[in-house]
Amino acid sequence: MCTVNVITRISNVLVMDRRAFLKQSTLASSLFFVPSFVKAFEQVATSQLGYKRLVIIQLTGGNDGLNTIIPYNNDDYYRNRPSIAIQKQNVLKATDDLGFHSSLAPLKNLYDNGNLTIINNVGYPNPNRSHFRSTDIWQTASNSNQYLSSGWIGRYLDHYGKNPYNAIEIDDSLSLALKGESFNGIAAKNPNVLFRTSQDPYFKNVLEHYQDDHLSEHNLGYLYQTMISAKSSAKYIFEKHKAGKVSKDYPNNEFGNQLKTMSKLINSGIETKVFYASLGGFDTHARQLGTQSRLLEIYAESIEAFVHDLKQQGTFDDTLILTFSEFGRRVKQNAANGTDHGAASNLFIIGSQLKTPGFYNDLASLSQLDDNGDLKYSIDFRSVYATVLERWLLVEDDKILNSNFPKLDFI
Amino acid sequence: MNTKEIQHLYWRAGFGITAKTLQALSGKSRRFIVDSLFQEASNIDALTLNLADLEHYTPAMIVKNKAKRGEFIKDSREKLKDFNLLWFDRMITSKALLRERMTLFWANHFVCRDTNIFHVQQYNNVLRTHALGDFGDFIKVISKEAAMLKYLNNKQNRKQKPNENFARELMELFTLGEGNYSEDDIKESAKAFTGYNHNFQGTFILRKFNHDYSFKSFFGHRGRYDGDDIIDIILEQKQCARFVCKKIYKYFVNDSVDQDRVEELASVFYKDYNIENLMHYLFMADWFYDKKHIGSKIKSPIDFMVGLCRTVPVNFHSNKDVLKIQKLLGQVLLNPPNVAGWKGGKNWIDSNSLMLRLKTPSVLLANAEISVKEKGEFEDAFKMYNRKPKRNRLVNVSVNWKSFEEQFQNASFEDIKNHLILSEISKGTQTYLKTLSQHSKRNFCVQLMSLPEYQMC
Repeated sequence: MCTVNVITRISNVLVMDRRAFLKQSTLASSLFFVPSFVKAFEQVATSQLGYKRLVIIQLTGGNDGLNTIIPYNNDDYYRNRPSIAIQKQNVLKATDDLGFHSSLAPLKNLYDNGNLTIINNVGYPNPNRSHFRSTDIWQTASNSNQYLSSGWIGRYLDHYGKNPYNAIEIDDSLSLALKGESFNGIAAKNPNVLFRTSQDPYFKNVLEHYQDDHLSEHNLGYLYQTMISAKSSAKYIFEKHKAGKVSKDYPNNEFGNQLKTMSKLINSGIETKVFYASLGGFDTHARQLGTQSRLLEIYAESIEAFVHDLKQQGTFDDTLILTFSEFGRRVKQNAANGTDHGAASNLFIIGSQLKTPGFYNDLASLSQLDDNGDLKYSIDFRSVYATVLERWLLVEDDKILNSNFPKLDFI
Repeated sequence: MNTKEIQHLYWRAGFGITAKTLQALSGKSRRFIVDSLFQEASNIDALTLNLADLEHYTPAMIVKNKAKRGEFIKDSREKLKDFNLLWFDRMITSKALLRERMTLFWANHFVCRDTNIFHVQQYNNVLRTHALGDFGDFIKVISKEAAMLKYLNNKQNRKQKPNENFARELMELFTLGEGNYSEDDIKESAKAFTGYNHNFQGTFILRKFNHDYSFKSFFGHRGRYDGDDIIDIILEQKQCARFVCKKIYKYFVNDSVDQDRVEELASVFYKDYNIENLMHYLFMADWFYDKKHIGSKIKSPIDFMVGLCRTVPVNFHSNKDVLKIQKLLGQVLLNPPNVAGWKGGKNWIDSNSLMLRLKTPSVLLANAEISVKEKGEFEDAFKMYNRKPKRNRLVNVSVNWKSFEEQFQNASFEDIKNHLILSEISKGTQTYLKTLSQHSKRNFCVQLMSLPEYQMC
């Protein structure tokens, strides 16, 4: 892997600017082949030249895209949803066809400022309607009939990561997305707790005495190795978190707190390329209106605080925020004033470097649906990933996605 | 059986073994030990909470009065915490170890969550009652349980507007596994489960007006099927036996699946879908006791906590603390993350959860300190464990060290190590353990429980 990386890295230099090259080598999984002068420049490079990072937000449970971005002039929409359609007068209108749910006023502001791109009909062929399977498909970037045991961010770490903290999930546990073949990110919901726990003298002694008795492939070896890397990462994250500041009040809920922690870390100059957080509860099979409205409000208000905060601290320009859900919901409502699992849906990209602010594409037809009565996809989610990997994180997307997906033009 | 094998069996079929039981069983034959495990499990002792103070709520009150309904839900949630504790305690103290282990297993197979304590309690006892019974009967009962009807939206599944959620998970997670059925199978079988509902008490009701009596095509069969018929057709698929046995293998034997063994188990299970026969076959199989399986699994947080409390009884002063620990370690009883349940294995372990786990024994048993004194140093163990608890402790507990000391009265330090640690200990760690002072068995116990090796079973 090392040799391959170096060769590709060197060839990259020819096509990539020097700044990008230096940033990437900070994350190189092996430093043996990196010339020492490059190593010497690393610290300078990252702190002075900025550090592009990706923030991924997962709305778990399957957010109903049609009641999020509403086709308020579409008869099919109102006909299919007699009791749960969002009425025209309540829509925050953006274009002649589409508008925002009233809980998303802060997002509408981002849209008006050119900081939001909405990509419609994102999905994949032969969509799977199980939460777990579809979440796995999105997190591993697999085909619908393919089972991968590593996540796409995990594989990014396999190739370009150096420490677990290169990808941090603000949660108690690590999602498959951040688990690679040979490398994992780290979950850090509360950096203080994480650090305190890691600093036990007994653990220190046990770890110092530990020899790898060829246990590394077994569960026990896995425990030891996890412990060793956790200890050093916990220290680093704690120190960065302590130094980080926030300039805004965040909504006092779990999601708001996650973004606040994220902001502190980002503004500390931490060497983290990917942050991951999720907001759950979108599985609205029954009584959807109230639940979704509340959740979208939590999402939008927290994102608003986060973006303001990063702008004020000058880190917004280097941050790209991607929000997705494992699937959208069926066009036709069910009897319980809810919606069943669907397929393609919309996805949000937030940032200041967007090429196509606003709507990237039109909403798919609500009359020509697939056999299940779901929206047909027109953009493969892996094209979104490929674009972000190549144009934002400046790495070779096909190595991570194991295939070549056409790039989009949003950044 | 030798002691390692007995310990292995007791960890997989139960929650570890006490020193006393191990001594009593040592040298006995496999058949004797396995049979007595089943014998002890034959008694079905329902888990019941005193719910007298909730019995004044009537259906009329809850349906009509919104405030009353809110009050009921609030009271019910409090009772759920008590029920969690009651279950936790049951696993620590029960003599019917295998039944309790199977109950925990099925709770992560027929995954369900609800807020109505009456329905939750009933569901939990269905799991316990059928834990070693007929698998087909089991699913049929599950499909009609109030908590499940709510959890997977089957009570909203009506002829006029089908809801596929239950039908999908029935096949994906309970019987066949992803990829072994078509979208049409889901649509057709969902029709068969229409009209399923329950009354206030949680008893099943078929609402005939909402049931679809039309023909359904399912797995090459066609008929006016109801839910039970669908389940019978599913059971005809050998894939169903295979799917359940793969889960059994991963849970009771090894995370990494041996396809041939799964096939062997599936052939046994497919004959009669009798769970007791299947488990008996498994625990009698020579290969179950292969060295590579012993101590190879990562304990779930509940395995870990229950096992710890069975070795050193811990009395939690507040119910909240038990829940707090379960939450921190990532497994709250009655509160699974989603319908697929906890993934288990390496998935229990990330940097955070591992560190917390290693720290837990010292938090509970030694006021959050692990003694690192080396050999020859003076150590006043008595003073250390009996000093006043610090403020701001994570949890408030009293520890019954007496019970531990009685168990291990005549045991050497080596014996204690062999009893607490089932997996092989890494060489470096063994060396380190030797450098530690061996004056206090209590200290040594906390030290052992704080090793990564103690996380294995």
